Formats: sequence, structure tokens, C-alpha cells
Amino acid sequence: MNDMSVAAEQQALLDQFLVQNKLFFAPDPEIMENHRIEARSAVEEQLLSQPVDPHKVNEVRGLIIAALDESNTMIEQMGAAPGAKWGDMTTAIFTAAGDLSMIAPHGVGGFAAAVFYPIKFINKYWAHEPTVGVRDGDGFIHNDARYGGIHNTDQSMMMPVFWKGRLVCWLSATIHEGENGSCEPGGMPAAAESKFDEGLKMPPFRIVENFELKRDLVTFLQNSVRDPKLQLEDMKVRLHSVLRLRQRIIKVLEEHGEEALIITLRKHIEDVVVEVRRRIRELPDGTMRTISFADSTLRENVLLKLNMAITVKGERMIVDMRGTSPELLNRSINAAQASFKTMLFTGYMQNIWPDLPFTMAVFTPFEFIFDNNSLINGSFETPQAMSLIPLFKTMTIACIPMAKFNFSLPQRYTAIVAPQYDQPATLIYGGLTQHGEYVGNFCADINGMGQGGRGHRDGEHSVSPPFAAHCDLGEIELMEEDLPMVRLGAFTLARDRVGFGKMRSGLGYEQIHTFRRSGLWGFMTGCSGSLFSSAMPLFGGYASPTYPLCKIKGINIFDELKNNPEKFKFDVIELMNTQPFENAQYSTHNMGMTFELAQPGELYMMCQGAGGGYGDVLQREPAQVMQDIEEDLISPDTARDIYKVVFDERSRIVDVDATQQLRDDERRARMARGVPFDEFVKTWTTPEPPASLPFMGAWSDPSTVYGIQAGTRVTMPGSALQSQFMLNPKDVLIATLQAENEALKARLGASAG
Amino acid sequence: MRRVSVDIGGTFTDCFVAWDEHCIESKALTTHQNLALGFNEALSNACKTLELSERELLSQVDSVRYATTLGTNALIERKGPRLGLLTTAGYKSSVPLSRAKGYGVGLPHQQQMDVPNAQRPDPIVPIPMIMEVRERIDYAGDVVMQLDEDDLRDKIRQLVDKGAEAIVVVLANSVVNPVHELRIREVFLDEYPGHMLGAIPMLLSHQVAGRKGEYVRAMSTIMDGFLHQAMYHGLGTLELNLRHAGYTKPMLCNHNSGGMAQLNSTDALQTVHSGPVSGIAASEHLALQAELGNIVATDMGGTSFDIGIVVDGGVKHYDFNPVIERWMVSVPMVHLVTLGAGGGSICRYDRMFQTVQVGPESAGSDPGPACYDRGGMKPTVTDADLVLGYLDPANYAGGHIKLNPRRSRQAIDDHLGEELDLDTIACAKLIRATVDANMANGIARELRTRGYEPENFTTLAYGGNGPLHACGIARALGVRRILAPPFASVFSAVGAGNMSQLHIHEMSAWTPLFDANQRRFFDDYPRFNGIVEELERRGREDLVRQGFEPAQIRYQLELDMRYGNQRVETAVVTELNRIRQPQDVLMLIEQFHQRYGERFGSGSQTPEAGVRINTIRVRAYVENPGISFKDIKPSAIRLAPPPPRGERICHFVGHDGPLTTAIYDNAALMPGTAIDGPAIVVTRATTYLVEPGWRFQAAGQNAVWFTMIEAGDKA
Repeated sequence: MNDMSVAAEQQALLDQFLVQNKLFFAPDPEIMENHRIEARSAVEEQLLSQPVDPHKVNEVRGLIIAALDESNTMIEQMGAAPGAKWGDMTTAIFTAAGDLSMIAPHGVGGFAAAVFYPIKFINKYWAHEPTVGVRDGDGFIHNDARYGGIHNTDQSMMMPVFWKGRLVCWLSATIHEGENGSCEPGGMPAAAESKFDEGLKMPPFRIVENFELKRDLVTFLQNSVRDPKLQLEDMKVRLHSVLRLRQRIIKVLEEHGEEALIITLRKHIEDVVVEVRRRIRELPDGTMRTISFADSTLRENVLLKLNMAITVKGERMIVDMRGTSPELLNRSINAAQASFKTMLFTGYMQNIWPDLPFTMAVFTPFEFIFDNNSLINGSFETPQAMSLIPLFKTMTIACIPMAKFNFSLPQRYTAIVAPQYDQPATLIYGGLTQHGEYVGNFCADINGMGQGGRGHRDGEHSVSPPFAAHCDLGEIELMEEDLPMVRLGAFTLARDRVGFGKMRSGLGYEQIHTFRRSGLWGFMTGCSGSLFSSAMPLFGGYASPTYPLCKIKGINIFDELKNNPEKFKFDVIELMNTQPFENAQYSTHNMGMTFELAQPGELYMMCQGAGGGYGDVLQREPAQVMQDIEEDLISPDTARDIYKVVFDERSRIVDVDATQQLRDDERRARMARGVPFDEFVKTWTTPEPPASLPFMGAWSDPSTVYGIQAGTRVTMPGSALQSQFMLNPKDVLIATLQAENEALKARLGASAG
Repeated sequence: MRRVSVDIGGTFTDCFVAWDEHCIESKALTTHQNLALGFNEALSNACKTLELSERELLSQVDSVRYATTLGTNALIERKGPRLGLLTTAGYKSSVPLSRAKGYGVGLPHQQQMDVPNAQRPDPIVPIPMIMEVRERIDYAGDVVMQLDEDDLRDKIRQLVDKGAEAIVVVLANSVVNPVHELRIREVFLDEYPGHMLGAIPMLLSHQVAGRKGEYVRAMSTIMDGFLHQAMYHGLGTLELNLRHAGYTKPMLCNHNSGGMAQLNSTDALQTVHSGPVSGIAASEHLALQAELGNIVATDMGGTSFDIGIVVDGGVKHYDFNPVIERWMVSVPMVHLVTLGAGGGSICRYDRMFQTVQVGPESAGSDPGPACYDRGGMKPTVTDADLVLGYLDPANYAGGHIKLNPRRSRQAIDDHLGEELDLDTIACAKLIRATVDANMANGIARELRTRGYEPENFTTLAYGGNGPLHACGIARALGVRRILAPPFASVFSAVGAGNMSQLHIHEMSAWTPLFDANQRRFFDDYPRFNGIVEELERRGREDLVRQGFEPAQIRYQLELDMRYGNQRVETAVVTELNRIRQPQDVLMLIEQFHQRYGERFGSGSQTPEAGVRINTIRVRAYVENPGISFKDIKPSAIRLAPPPPRGERICHFVGHDGPLTTAIYDNAALMPGTAIDGPAIVVTRATTYLVEPGWRFQAAGQNAVWFTMIEAGDKA
């Protein structure tokens, strides 16, 4: 039969067969690609179509937020994961349909914003599945970012709340857990070449029945990770914080009724949508563009482009990410579209509208355009364990276009700020502690990134991670009590590593790590920005510097500190430049280091980064430049070379006239160097990336995207991106060494001949 | 008992004199230029009531005790010496970075979230005054790198040359091995002998705070160094003033730990927030004497609402890293949380949710609420209270401040009326309902995060606005009674008179009671007992220095414990004072299990992950007789209300129309008097608002109960 048209009733039968014979409940694109709040349910429509008392809603909201605060505080106090200890967690409440309504006041919004996807999955697939179902007393666990989430180190507990037999809302608790049994300790394996290297991959499944953890499943999970103690402790923490939250919500239901709860949860998000539309309407219509690059897959150096154009049209905001790098089939830095939206939302909440309540409803008025199979719209099969590489950039990328949109507003909702440092510059560790415990996790340094310069003042040093406010760097003394690590360099602001500008960025700080009292210990880093600046500047400032990873191996620093203490300098640059220890190996690397075992007393040194600068360096007040010298943030050379300030080095008194003269000279020199824009474009632009540059993403035309397929540059239409397959770096190295070997042999043969 | 206790606050100096059977409350304006003047005036007022001269009184009292905000003021005004900081090499930016979150510590939540506007507070120690010392000790106390003394001498010299007026030393892990900090002081004294004019004080961190956490310990030591001079002079002047006035005993200072000591045993940091903590101490004493059980103490003033918890059975609630002004520190301070809710809290329209937001911004006392007529244009809680008829415009704050109701109405109409589409009265009711709900939610959160339920507590409402909002808070909290305590207007001063000499010493000590990996139980009893003995010795020294006999001293052992690698450190108060056998270990584990379950829910415990003591703490104290609270419980016999002084039209939340409300004066405080709401009782210091459906019941010593009237129950 050639005629493929099928009658509707016949098609229905086929569809029914497909539904009944589903091989695998993979992430559902209908859920994963929809960031908007659902349409009102019949109950919501019935309740909200009548007059609603906003003050009653406010009263109930106050009770819910107090309950969220209480349950979140419980996690903070009970949690065992470093992430929980230093603020990387939240509790949240969702409508019955799974839309995020509210989070705990100090919670990490991105977590909750990602959890609504698995809740919607449960509602759609498990609620009516006879072998699963959703009942009062159930709790579901989840960590796989492909079903919603940021990355698989975050584990969530989701619990339905029933009232008089009806599902009225969902609750959740999420912790950045760290260790999850992946191929490298700590849960964020840079070495993952497929999703099967990622350790636990939990789509939402029931692990709690009758409000109790099922010990068989708990044992299965403990058996799958390196730190079974941590797994057990924090599963209990999540369960009991959600139970506490449930207790409070039940009380709200008892005292105020089901209708009040349903109205409050729904009205809250609808009000936010209205407010965001109002804010978009305030912006001038137009399109603002920006780009951002990651410079590493964590296995090799590649420039990976994030291409963004934001268009405002009335109350619509359209985010166009076409032209972004294609996904990498065997590298762990891909991100799902839902993860991207969650982190972009987080960035808006941190940098653009921090006064809005944390609910994904903020993005309901937003429209998105992606290329399929791009780095930030990765397919289900791609590994995503280190999605942080594009996602951290995602959280800051909108600062530049939104600064331009917001600049002329009569009322801004916060300050104009250049992008914060946007890479997870923290050491990940794993091994056996001095107390005989197996652990794998990361340091709290992830919470201390330098801020970008601001319209009204310099950026703050190491102020927060880009994903949350008011997080904590913790105390080194407490960290060393639990782990064999010794921080010889704990917190030293990194001199001259600044996003220069009229308002300079905040600085990051140097870290010098080593360890002892363990026979099995190792480190990894999962960070880009060693070759290409991470944080872009704003309005003429400088971008953030690049930061290498430095190692000193082949020594035991504890012997040196005992026998030759004078040799050791608490300064990374001085150690690397002076190389004080004989027979040690000194090396620098990009910051994408897969896990490697270390020897006691070896040094691993890195730097938390600075943000982008704001405005022209020639406009910086000389007095501020002098204060930067006084505080050892910059060197005198930087003051002269970058800021063009003339001063007496001993007295540090500025020569005002000479400074003015030097700055005027520099402005004239700039004009002399300048060329008309069209001429500049002609000389500067090239039809394609330089052949020597490993580059992925659009070069100029967003519809044509460059990739590297098994070592060879390829181009493809953005509308039909192909997943890129990277060569094994070891194979590349072997091939290089073989070629050198052959060349050497040939040369020797020739000379012998 | 004859005793004087004083709470020197930002606006008023409160004085409470216990003189045999008499208890006298008096107040005077605080005289910031010389605190003694305000104290003298307040004391003089009390003496007039007792018909005594100040000299007669001071020569016969057993003690004079101070709680003071001197330290807080010095911090806010940055009045202190130029400090230098010596710290372990590699840590020089620890204090400037303030654990990242330092930009928002001490600020309201909204400001914490606004990272683009983040701004760390001006530093107490500027970066150029921080010097590194080449040394290192590890977590176990082993020396990793010897102190480089040549380098040290150079760094000390640099700080002195830069004008350091005091030097603070904070070395990593000094609490487990202070050898380098101690050596630094020796070297320093060698270079700059203490007997010289212009000698510079040096503070060592391990002597200020005993637990691990280098940043919070650094801030504790820095604050101590910064406040020392101001407190020394301020309190010294007060003591001198007392000497001249005939007082011959040592002056006593209240501490934020809930205890007190002579000046020679008080460090500056211990005095910060001692005023509000004294209120909690008074609550504890009241609870014990009147057998009130658990108490949540609330103090609603002009700008803030303080909440503290007192639990029957002796569980102490401390903050181990309390926030002082804008910094986290490391001292055990009685737990106290402050919300931005007071009479001066500003109300604004919430565009997003079409309702009103109250606070956390405050109009303070300058310009103050709109009705103060001092330029404040925004509506506040006090404006709402005035519009609703609760306040007498001519007789507010004892007649010190005249209120202008027209300003209140105008501010409410201009900022809220049109947007909310409500008339002035409806707006005012909404403000009141909102602020009462905010405070109730704050109380509930504080209790519930510690495993308690509000209905199992007696709520105390004191402070200038407490009795005015007591019924509203109780209603929102879902409790049926609330107590305005005796001497409510000087309640913190009452607390100052009830504290005992107390010293808390603690030490971080890695002590695994149950090692989950090895499945072994703790058996190094001599080590544990040695630490406890050392902590007891330090407490004993403190108290013996103040003239007590060792036999008078009592000790209480507290352990901060946790499961596995948790952050939480649940404090366990134990009757044990030494570990002697495995059964003791199991007993501690069981005590922890109980306490943890109460707090976080039964079944949340994870002993299988290991049980560990992180910090050992000893409270050394000498019990003192306290003020006697009598007949505080509501009397079974109800007296009829006295004749009202007048009546006013008032408006109440939950009642549509205006209600004629009787106004009573001091006569209503006669014990046993019962008045059903709506009613207002106005005394010289306090306004008690009795909402409809609530009953005012006067008890002994001017205590007042607000109770919800049960159906069918008539006064």
C-alpha cells in the first residue's frame, strides 16, 4: 500500500499501541522544552475566576515562606555534604501541576527551578502508571539533569501533598551532594565520555513510602557511590526537611483551607508573570547581542562560543541562542536546554531583577530560539556531568545586553554590573581521609567569585557564586579537620589579576593546596578560562584575566617546611618564577584537569577569578588607583601602564598634572591608532576562523556553525547541527609523539647516511 | 535584697532598684557624652520614690549591675584604636573577604539578595594594616612550619610604624596549639616592653575564642581589640562615678552569654548586646519563679523586634557565631534574633502582589513616623496605630512626643490608599494585620527550627510597642494567651539584676564517640577529662579572681555534637562531668539522639554515620539570689474594672465598623482586675491594647495577661 494516509480512528489505535508499549520513559521534550507555567487547572480556574483577596493571599504566603525558611534552615543545620554546609541547597513548594511557586528565602533558586521538570514527569507518567502511582506518604528522588536539573551531583526529594484525597501541591528539598559514583570522585567528572561515566543517573523514582525511606533502595544507592555515609545522611536530611515542610503546609490547609493554598500558590506565580511583562514593557524595543567563550572541553583547548541576541518587542523578550557551539558527543560539558534556561533565569535573578521572587514564572514571558544539538541544547545521549562550563557563563552572559536595555530606565531594579567571574574555580578532591573515610567532593571556594565593576562603584572581591547570593566560603580550620588537605595559601587576593576599568572588578584569591596523612588522595579541577578571558567587560573596561593551574610535584612540601622553611613563599607567582625547590617539577596547565592521584606534600595552586571591568581605565580616579596599590591589589607598574597615573613611588603622591598629560597623550594615541569603522571591519574580520584556532560556533553568520569532527574542522548549517566527536587526547598525544619520533629517526638516519 | 541594675540603651537609660520589698522602675534619657549623667538622673528618680539620698542607697546595695550598648555604638561610629593584624601567611585576605557572605551579614534578606549593590562594611582593620607571619600549625596542633622570628620582628615593626595602637594576633589552628601565638607575644614584649609609656596592647585569638574557625575568631579578636579602649573608659568612668557616690563594691557588667562579671573579668566583646540578652535573662528568671514553663521573649521597640527563647529544663540556646553589627564572631551568645518590625517600620505598596509590605526599612526616631511631624513622609506602623485610635496624640511616650494624626492619614492615603483602593482605616488595619503576622511568623520560625511549637510556650511581649501589639501577635501566632511581664518598660534592667556570675570556656576537640568506619567507641577518657578539667580551671580562676571561694563554684558541662560530617552542632547539656566507662559514652550518644530527634524529627538521627563531639564547653557559675517575682499567674478571682478614664472610637482588625473603646489608667493594674476588650489601658510607660475577644487581666507587680475569651466566659 503506497498511500500512507491513515484515518483518524486508525491513527488513534496506532498511538494507543505506542503508548501502551513504551520501551523507556526517557525525558519528555514536551516537558523539558516548556519553561512556562501551565495553564490554570480546572480547580484553579474556578477559584481564580472569582474575586481574590490579595491580602489573604499575602497572609498565607507569609506562612508558607516561614515554613520554607524553617525547612531550609533544617537542611543547612543537618546536611553533611559540603554544599549543604555552605548554602548550596533549598526547599521549595510547587502547584499541583508542578509549577515552582516559592522557594526558601536563602535557598538556591536554580535548584528549585530545575525540580519542576521531574515533578511534571511524575505527574504525567508515574501518577497513572499502575506499578508506580503517586500516593500520600510517597517521596521521589531524582538527580539526572536530563530530566531537569543543573547537574547530576544535585539530589532532590520531591513529595506530593494530598488533602482530602486530592493532590494540592508538591514539596521539594535539594542539596548539591557532590559524590555520586561517577568515574571521577566528587560527582562532576570532566573525564566522562558518555553519560554512563556519570555515576548515579536517577530519573524520578519513589524511594519513600509511608513517609519512610525504603532501605533496599537506599542500600542500592549507597552501594553505587564512594561515600555511602554521606548518601544516607543527606537522604534523611532531605526527607525530614520535606516532612517538616509538609507538616506546616498541612497546618495551613487546616487553618485556611485548601482553596486558600491553591489560590495563593497560583496567584503568586501569575502576579509575577504580570510584573515581568510590565518590566519588559518598560525596556526600549530593540536587539542587543553578546558572545561568550569557554576555552576548554576540560580535555583539550577549544574555543566554544555562546552566541546571544536578546530582542525586546513590547512585552515580549526573545532570547536567540543560535550560532552557539554544537554539542560534543564524548565530552562532559554539554547542557540540556532546560538546564540552560534554569541558569539563565538564575542569572537574571542575581544580576537584573534580584527583587523578584524566585519562581520560574519569571521566564513565562520569555521566548527562546535554539539550534538543536547545540552545547546548551544538548541531546539526551550527550554526557552533561560538567555542564557547569557553559552554564556558569550562562548566568552572567545577559549582564551585557541587559545593561544596555536598562541603562536609560528612570527606575532600575538594581545596579548596572559587568559580568562576574563565571567559572567554577574550585578544587575537587577525592580519596581516603586521615580518619579513614572515603570521600569525594569539592571545596567551598566555588562560592567566592569576584564581582564585575559597577556603574556606581568597584566590584566586590570574591563576593558570591554566580548561582546564588549570600553563600559561604567557610572556614579552612574546619575543612582541615575533616580532610587531609592543608591550605598553605588560603585567601590571598591575587595582585594585578583584575578586570581593569573606571570601576575595577572585584578580585579573586590565590589558593595553594597540598595534603598529608592519606595514602590515597587526588585532585581535579573543572574550569575553563585559562586561555581566553572568562568575564567580559562592560562599557570599555577590561575583561577578567586568564588563570592557569600550577603544580609543583616531586617534592614533599612538609619536609621542605621543616628543613628549609625559608625557601617557601606563600605566593603562587613567586614559587613558579623562582622555582625554589631543586629536583621538583614545576608545570602550568589549563584549569581543566581530570582527576589525578597526588603524592603527599605536592602542591596544586590555582586562583579564584576576577570579574569584568566597567568603563574606561583613563577615567579611574587616581586616588582610587593609589588605594589599590596601598591595598596590594595592583602593582605600581599596573598603575602606570594601565591607568596612566604618574606618582612618586616612595611617597605615593600623585602628580596630577603629569597624570592628566599622560592620559591626554594616551587618548591622542588611541585616536591615532584608530581607523574608521568600515576600514577596521575590512582589516579585522576574516571569512572564517584562523586555521590554527580550534573553534566551535558561528563565526559571523549565526546560521553557519563551525565544529571539529574527530580532529577536522567542519561547517554545518545551524538548523542541522551534528554532534561533534573529539579525539582521545591520549591518542592525539601518541600520534604527536610518534610523528616526532619518526621525524627524529628520519633526521638521524639522514645524518648517519 | 537591695540592688541596682541598669540598662543603658540608645535612647533611654533604664534603672531598676530592688529595695527590700520595693521594686522601683525609673528612666532617663541616655547621655552619650557621659553615661554617668543619665544613670545619675535615673537613679535620682528612683531615690525620690524611696525617699533616700543616692549615697544612702548606693552604700547599702549589694551590687550595681550594668547592661550597655556602649560597644554597639562604638562599632557603629567606628570609635576605636587603629588596629594591626598579624595572621598566618597565606591568610592575609581572610578578614577582608569575610567568607564571601560578609557583604550581607547583618542586613535584611532583600539586601542580601541584591548582589549588584553588595557592599562590605568599612573594615575595622584596613588591608594595609594586615601583616602575614611565616608559620603554620595543622588541624591536630602539630607544627608544620616553625615561626620565623626574624620575619615576625620585621612585621611587628611595620605595623608599629604604620601607627598601630593595638595588635591582634590570629594564627591558624591556634586553639589546638597556641604555642606560636604565645611566642609572638613574648617577642612583642621583648621589642616593646609593656611598662613603657605608649605600650601597645596585644590580643591573642585563642584567648578570646576557643573554637575553630579562623575568620570568626579573627573578627572576635579584632572587635575585642577595637572596643577595649572605649569600653574600658566608658565603664571605668561609670565605676568612678559610683565610687564618688558612695558605692564601694566592684561594679558588675552583664554579659551577652547570660552571665555577668566584674570589670577585671570582662572582655569588651562580652558586653555587646548585653541589654537585649538581659531581657531574656529576666524572662528565664520569671519563668522559674512563676512556674511559667517555656517562654518566648519578644521585645518590640521602635525599629526592631527581638526574639529569644527560654526552655523549661535548662536547654540553653546560644548562637556560637552570632552577628554583631555587620560581622560574624565566635563567642557563645544567648540566642537572639532581630526582625525589622517596630513602630517605625515603613509601609509601602507592593505592586507585584497588590498588597502592603511592612519593613524592614525603618523611619527610626529621626525623622520617625509621619505623625512625629519631624519630616517623615512615609507611613509607619505607629501611624497606623494612631489612625486606628490606639494612641493618645497628646500623651505618647509619657507626653514627650506630640503626635499629629493628620500627618498619619496623609502619609497612608498618599502612599497606599489609591494603589490599594482602600480608605485610610482599611489601610491602617491592613498594616497592622501584616506587621503582626510578620512578627508571629518570625516567632514561629524561631521556635520550630529548634523543634518547639508556639502553643507550648508562654509568649512575653515587652518593649515600647509590645503590649500594644500583643493581641494581634497572639492571634496570628495561634496562641490563646500572652503576657506583658512585670516592669515591662524596664524589663532588660530587671534582667540585669537577675544574672549570676558566669564564665563560659570552650575548646574545639575532635572526639569521635562512635567511629562508624572502625565501629569503635571512644575510649581516650583521660584526654576528654583533661580538657574538661582545664576548662573548669579557667572558669574557676575567673571566679576566684572576683572573690569567690572554689566551693561556691558550680560547673555545667555542655557538648556540641554531630552525626557524621554534619555541620549542625546540637548542644547537649549533660549531668556528667567526666567520662569514666563505656556506659557514659553510650549515655552521651543517647542524650544527643533524644535532643536531635526533638529538634529535627524522630527518625532523622543517623548514628550509623558516626557520633562526634566537636566542642566541649564548661559553664562555671556562682548562683546569686534574684529579684522575687510574685503572683504573676492570673488570679482566679477577677476584680471588676475601675471606672474608665474616658473612651475613644477605635478600629480593629476583623471588625468592620468602629467600636467605642474604654480607656483606663494605672488603676487597671490592680492585681486581679479583668477588662474585656475592646479596651485600652494607658500607664505612664506603656499602652496596653485589648482587642475585642481578648481579656486584660492584671497580675502582681504590674504584669498583665492577655487571654482569648472563651465562648460563654464573661468577665
